[in-house]
Amino acid sequence: MPVPSPTAPRRRAVAAVAYLMLALVGLAFLLPFGWLFLASISEQPTLSTSIPDRLTLRNFTDVLTGDNLHALANSLVLSMGAALLTLLLAAPAAYPLSRYSQRFGRPILLGLIFATCLPVTAIMVPVYGLFVQLDLLDSIPATTLFLTATGLPMAIWMMKNFMDDVPISLEEAAWVDGASGLRALLRIVLPLMVPGTTVVFTFTFALTWGNFFVPFILLIDPAKQPAAVAIYQYFGTQGGYASYGLLAAFSILYSLPVVLLYAVAQRTLGNAFAMQGAVKG
Amino acid sequence: MRRKSALVMTAVMVAATASACGGGSSDSKTIKVAYQKFGNFIGADELFKKIKPVFEQQNPGLKLKLIPIEADENSYYTKLNLMRRSPKTAPDVAYEDTFFVNSDAEARFLMPLDDDLKSWPDWSQFVDAAKAAGRAADGHTYGVPMGTDTRGLWFNKQIFAKAGLPANWQPKTWNDILAAARQIKARVPGVIPLNVYAGKGVGEASSMQGFEMLLYGTDDKLYDDQTKKWVVPSRGMGAAFDFLKTVYSSGLGPTQQQALDPHWSDNVGGQELPKGKLAIALDGSWLPQAWIPGGANAWPQWSSVLGTAAMPTQNGQAPGKVSLSGGWLLSVGARTKNPSAAWKLVQLALNKENSLFFYIKATQVSVRNDVAADPKYLEGNPTQKFWTDLVSVTQYRPAYSVYPQISNQLQAATEAVVTNQASPRSAMNDFAGQVKQIAGPDKVEAKS
Amino acid sequence: MVAVDLPERTATRRPPARRGRRAAGRALPLVPAFGLLALFFVGPILWCVYASFTDIALTGAGASTPHLVGLRNYRQMFSDPTFTKSLWLTVVFLIGSAIIGQNIGGLILALLMNGRRRIVRTVVGIIVVGAWVLPELVAGFMWYAFLSDTGTLNAILHAVGLHGKSWLYSMPLASVTIANIWRGTAFSMLVYSAALSNVPDELLEAAAVDGASAFARLRHITLPLMRRAMLTNLMTITLQTLGVFTLIFVMTGGGPGTKSQTLPIYMYQEAFKFYHLGYGAALAIVLLAVGGLFSIVYLRGMRKEV
Repeated sequence: MPVPSPTAPRRRAVAAVAYLMLALVGLAFLLPFGWLFLASISEQPTLSTSIPDRLTLRNFTDVLTGDNLHALANSLVLSMGAALLTLLLAAPAAYPLSRYSQRFGRPILLGLIFATCLPVTAIMVPVYGLFVQLDLLDSIPATTLFLTATGLPMAIWMMKNFMDDVPISLEEAAWVDGASGLRALLRIVLPLMVPGTTVVFTFTFALTWGNFFVPFILLIDPAKQPAAVAIYQYFGTQGGYASYGLLAAFSILYSLPVVLLYAVAQRTLGNAFAMQGAVKG
Repeated sequence: MRRKSALVMTAVMVAATASACGGGSSDSKTIKVAYQKFGNFIGADELFKKIKPVFEQQNPGLKLKLIPIEADENSYYTKLNLMRRSPKTAPDVAYEDTFFVNSDAEARFLMPLDDDLKSWPDWSQFVDAAKAAGRAADGHTYGVPMGTDTRGLWFNKQIFAKAGLPANWQPKTWNDILAAARQIKARVPGVIPLNVYAGKGVGEASSMQGFEMLLYGTDDKLYDDQTKKWVVPSRGMGAAFDFLKTVYSSGLGPTQQQALDPHWSDNVGGQELPKGKLAIALDGSWLPQAWIPGGANAWPQWSSVLGTAAMPTQNGQAPGKVSLSGGWLLSVGARTKNPSAAWKLVQLALNKENSLFFYIKATQVSVRNDVAADPKYLEGNPTQKFWTDLVSVTQYRPAYSVYPQISNQLQAATEAVVTNQASPRSAMNDFAGQVKQIAGPDKVEAKS
Repeated sequence: MVAVDLPERTATRRPPARRGRRAAGRALPLVPAFGLLALFFVGPILWCVYASFTDIALTGAGASTPHLVGLRNYRQMFSDPTFTKSLWLTVVFLIGSAIIGQNIGGLILALLMNGRRRIVRTVVGIIVVGAWVLPELVAGFMWYAFLSDTGTLNAILHAVGLHGKSWLYSMPLASVTIANIWRGTAFSMLVYSAALSNVPDELLEAAAVDGASAFARLRHITLPLMRRAMLTNLMTITLQTLGVFTLIFVMTGGGPGTKSQTLPIYMYQEAFKFYHLGYGAALAIVLLAVGGLFSIVYLRGMRKEV
């Protein structure tokens, strides 16, 4: 008769070590943030980290201007749009790549993936020319499309790989029942891919959120520029110097949406554990 | 049905793409002006906002469209030139560094203004050095300067008092500077006696505020306008490298770590000078921009703590002092559909009243004689007169498209010297080899 | 014994009900995505290849009348010691920060967090992901402030009686490598967390009951099941890391000298300071080749799978 008790203390010891290590890693990752937080609440921050004499929230109130909120809203539109569009395009594209042998799909996709490591600065001249030709300059939807395109090869690839991990036997059952490929994708495959989809969504969103150069080149009207462009204004100027306090405060506000997105994603990842169990049981 | 849904999706995409509105119009009734707006550097934006209603009122039927480009200098220039590549988006009037006049003229982005300038009475008010800054190698003038900057020595009078040096210090030779620095090192421990930029970290500051301020105070220059050749190696250049070597190897300058830090030039104006940790700084006229109320590092006492002195020539040879200048100008695009309206805009933007407005907003040094004499120009900044007087001796960098590469090699050469990786002589010879490679051996001459 | 569905190579298996359909029908869902890519991505890439054989520039004569110059850009590149050094630095940076640092760090984090309390997962996760989502510019500046002479790290070392040093000056490549590990580990962690959630618990429990140690379970069950995820992750972070520019640019500017001047920094200098778009494009193609080489290795690894 197996006795479970001997492994229990060991298991607890392992857990304790894991928690300790997680605490250490968390602390190590937290340390570099120190300057950012302290500078954001200091009145006259410098590059060195020091506990400010007087705490102030003025930096935050100073950066919460209408223009900056507008820029953040623009960022949200661009990033949400690009991330949703990416999922919408990547999921159907990944399905045949994962499920059928494709003579051309895979090599083309791989070629495009290699190309994603091209710095966007290397292709901006033709992209600008293209946007002029098609009369798409200064258009947020068109810029969203381009941002989607830059992240798409990687997104399809990731989707395909997550899809490969979903056993085909489940769909075979559905096919036997007469479900179409699209229905099999929507009803069976995608629900099982929630963690993977979340990763892809978060990845695209974060990538777009931090993209400075593409919106800068493709949008003309300053009122359409996203927050990634706005952040540069706190960053040293010709003959001036960085306003560290404002820079730090705006950086924190700027990072919040993506951190929140992750917090939400984390919950769905958590739910995925339960879902896996349910399917397998 | 799947096929249909895919088709619908494509159609939606195409529709979204097609319905997107286009870029700016390019008719002759709309004059577009592109300029940089960045952080607290908003002088140009304020200027064009101020004159927009005036221009539209003076020119009924015309519209002035402002295109502020919010970015650092490299990104601004990248976007401006992308816009200029396409007739649809090319601005009629653009704001650009005087440095780019040659290469932009060569790229056929600019329209020559010679005839317009001849009939513009205001042009006689511009100082000669500034007029020359808008002239390209082909002899045509392509832009009207919006002001300039000059360079010289800032020093901390409080540290000087402790070291027993006068508050009205004015060195006559390089040796006077070194002597003062040595005295400070001996009597006031814990401060950096003298900062001269060097190395690649601070980039162009190292070439322009640093090495060239030395070189142009010798009998040699970096480029000979008569022979149209780069001058390297030369005796003056050797002396400039020696000076750097002396400063850095005898503890008169910042540490190597400080000097090579990419943010060192920010730190000099933002921390070292305000905190009294630096005695003498070879730097630019614009530093107070950060110290004035509302600046990034407000420091109300700056004008009583700091003094200014012109950078002397090597041995005090005529004209006794040296300065280098940069600055911006307004140019008319070669592709403009309405050249006369574009020129009218330039005239309006840089008339006496608006030049004064811009100089004050953007902490610029005046290049117009009538504005320089205006009491409103001098009030508010006690050092303004000093920096403006340097315009009489100031020089511009060789504005050729290979200059940035040569400057980059120059920075590497100074870095080799201040980090003791090369002697001044071998660094200069290496640099000469690099310049030959960049500019072509027939475009280089040696002087000894 | 517990029956397990190992993820299989599915490409050869076809759904029986669809066997009669033409391949064109199967490729249809690819059309919107590939259409968008063809419009916005393929053309510009081909242009980049073309530009690498020209002297096109942003200003100067090369802006108005670019010429085909054959292999001049490439010849110039390979005869330039700065380029060779940059290439080498890029590879070291890639291996150190992505393949070793982010990849292994992310795996360890995911394993540590797997099955831990949600609150711990959330807190650690937010800190690590916070590092990832911070704009690169800000991350670079934070690390600059952290490692500078008067920065946080030296202040901490000083407080415990140790001597700090000028990190960015004396060990620039190590500094930017560590900063990039800090910044990028979150992505690997996310991928591995997702992959771990796909490893069936019953299998691990069964092995545990059979007396397999935690390490043996990891080695013989978890890791083999995560092989695909690992290779995908490696490919992604390799391509991401090859493009890292802002982080290094803000921290060291590529210096001192050229001690941390990776290919993107070198390319920036050529294209935006010297305005040589053609030469910059040639450098981009080399960057592409490096990414391609590494990717081929990963893809081979994936093919070997049982």
